[in-house]
Amino acid sequence: MIWASLRLQRLQLLTLLGTLVVGAGVIVLLRSNMIDALDSAQIAHCVRAADQCVAPDGAVKAFRTTWSTPFETAQLLIIGLPALIGVFIGAPLFALELEQGTHVLAFTQSVSRTRWMLSKLVVALVPALVVLVVLQHLVGWWLDAAGSLGPLYNGPFNRVNFAIQGVSPLGYALFAFALGTFLGALTRRTLAAMTAGLVAFVVVRFAVSGLVTGSVFAERRATAVGEVPEQRESGLVLTTGWLDASGQAVPSDRASVLNQACKTTPGGSPNTEEGYLACLRESGFAQNYWDVIPDSRAWQVHLVDVAVFGVLAVVLLAGTTWALRRQS
Amino acid sequence: MTPLTATAVGKRYRTRWAVRDCSFSLPEGKVVALLGANGAGKSTLLRMAAGLVRPTTGELSVFGTPLRGRIHPDVSFLAQNRPLYRDLTVRELVRVGAAMNDRWSADRVREVLALQAGVDHDAKVRTLSAGSVTQVAIAMALGRLPRLLLLDEPLADLDPLAREETLRIIMAEVADRGTTVVMSSHVLADLREVCDHMLLVDEGRVQVDGDVEEVLARHRVLVGPVTDESTVEGELVSATRTQRQSTLLLKDAGPAPEGWAGAEPDLDSLVMGYLRASRERRASAQRG
Repeated sequence: MIWASLRLQRLQLLTLLGTLVVGAGVIVLLRSNMIDALDSAQIAHCVRAADQCVAPDGAVKAFRTTWSTPFETAQLLIIGLPALIGVFIGAPLFALELEQGTHVLAFTQSVSRTRWMLSKLVVALVPALVVLVVLQHLVGWWLDAAGSLGPLYNGPFNRVNFAIQGVSPLGYALFAFALGTFLGALTRRTLAAMTAGLVAFVVVRFAVSGLVTGSVFAERRATAVGEVPEQRESGLVLTTGWLDASGQAVPSDRASVLNQACKTTPGGSPNTEEGYLACLRESGFAQNYWDVIPDSRAWQVHLVDVAVFGVLAVVLLAGTTWALRRQS
Repeated sequence: MTPLTATAVGKRYRTRWAVRDCSFSLPEGKVVALLGANGAGKSTLLRMAAGLVRPTTGELSVFGTPLRGRIHPDVSFLAQNRPLYRDLTVRELVRVGAAMNDRWSADRVREVLALQAGVDHDAKVRTLSAGSVTQVAIAMALGRLPRLLLLDEPLADLDPLAREETLRIIMAEVADRGTTVVMSSHVLADLREVCDHMLLVDEGRVQVDGDVEEVLARHRVLVGPVTDESTVEGELVSATRTQRQSTLLLKDAGPAPEGWAGAEPDLDSLVMGYLRASRERRASAQRG
């Protein structure tokens, strides 16, 4: 059965292999070119902290200008691959058989529908995921070498960076693939499944990924009013506001009214710095706070991300099974 | 053990019954002709027997085992549209068949493919002629070494030569292995010479079920004057009346009355009679 599935997926598997070989070759080549460029521009030491390093005039800017396009292309590849997997591997997997009626051939042999389905799913999905993960890590390895001179400068919670790091791409690919197979089994039309799958994937992907970074993971940091906070750790700040003396957050509408009132003296002229802070304390503001997910905990957000898309994928695969079992 | 038994089988698609209240039992080792007009429910019946379609009501058993949504190991099914992977070569397709079956005879497949002009094993299926595609599809079906072979319109779209050759493959299978064959067709000429049992369905119901010779012997065609049909005894199946004479198809007819000529119908006129009768019933039902 595995041989049969391999033979029927030959075109897709060869395309995947080609993508892997060409993609890996290009990435390795670009990375070594980039390291040469860093050395010749004498900015290799800026990789760790681009803002503080001493470098020849304009060298950092020139490097970023030259390399931004290759970086963006590589990021786009990793962002786009899950969608391509869904459209070109997931959607046609069952739709093509149902469209051409060859599922009748399969259903009238001794292999059970479930085994037929599983073997097709595994043969189509596993190689695609392997290629995706390998390319993702090669791109990550390249971008690491550029450090803060490259896109990593924007931190792990930057939308693009988040989408290509950790286990997230795996979750997106699983979801796109399952969505494609489900729509294929449901519509029995390859083209319809490919189109609807792409649209649905893009919509759900952006709708859901915004929800993932909920405040569940946030850690609360606070400083007394008027105190200048020590350097804030980098991370994703979800909310900011004031706490009262008992440590309770002041509702934001009330806070903004009070804050606005403190900016002017009772006479109507702009308040002084000290007057402003004193006014805030009198109004009941004890501390500034902000809820933040530190960069070091990005992996946990990735886990939530993959869990959400993974659950969606499992539901869709169950739907595919249901659609195929009732298919005659 | 009977190869195929149907007990009050019905299949409804939304509001339309494709097959309704079908009960029959097929004899072993026979060639069964499944006859009926287009859309009479022949394909649905065969697809249910192949385990592709679950009946809405009733139950089908193959060799004593009730069907449960999958094909019986001793059954092979040839679908009407010959579903084969068109991008594969014949050789690869046969390998796929072997991979998908517990019991598989590559020798049997090779044997069938070598019959007639022979099929090029390295040709892609999509490049083959309609006759060769059917031959490959039948070879795939026989590779499962079936005891019951279900063929949905095996001869449709074939030229007369390919038709005859295909029939020869099927008859050789029956002679060699004693396989029970159920063949559907709406072209009678195809089946007249080879079938020995008939199952005539119309509007999803079994109209005639029995050994061809016995069925024919039970029917009479009477030709006589238009004016006087009251003397005729028996169950009237259908009648054609011209200005000068009536031709009646009767079941369990008595002796021909005076002025009438009686004869045993041939398969053509028998089937035509039943199909015409059901069409008239349908027409009068539509008129309300």
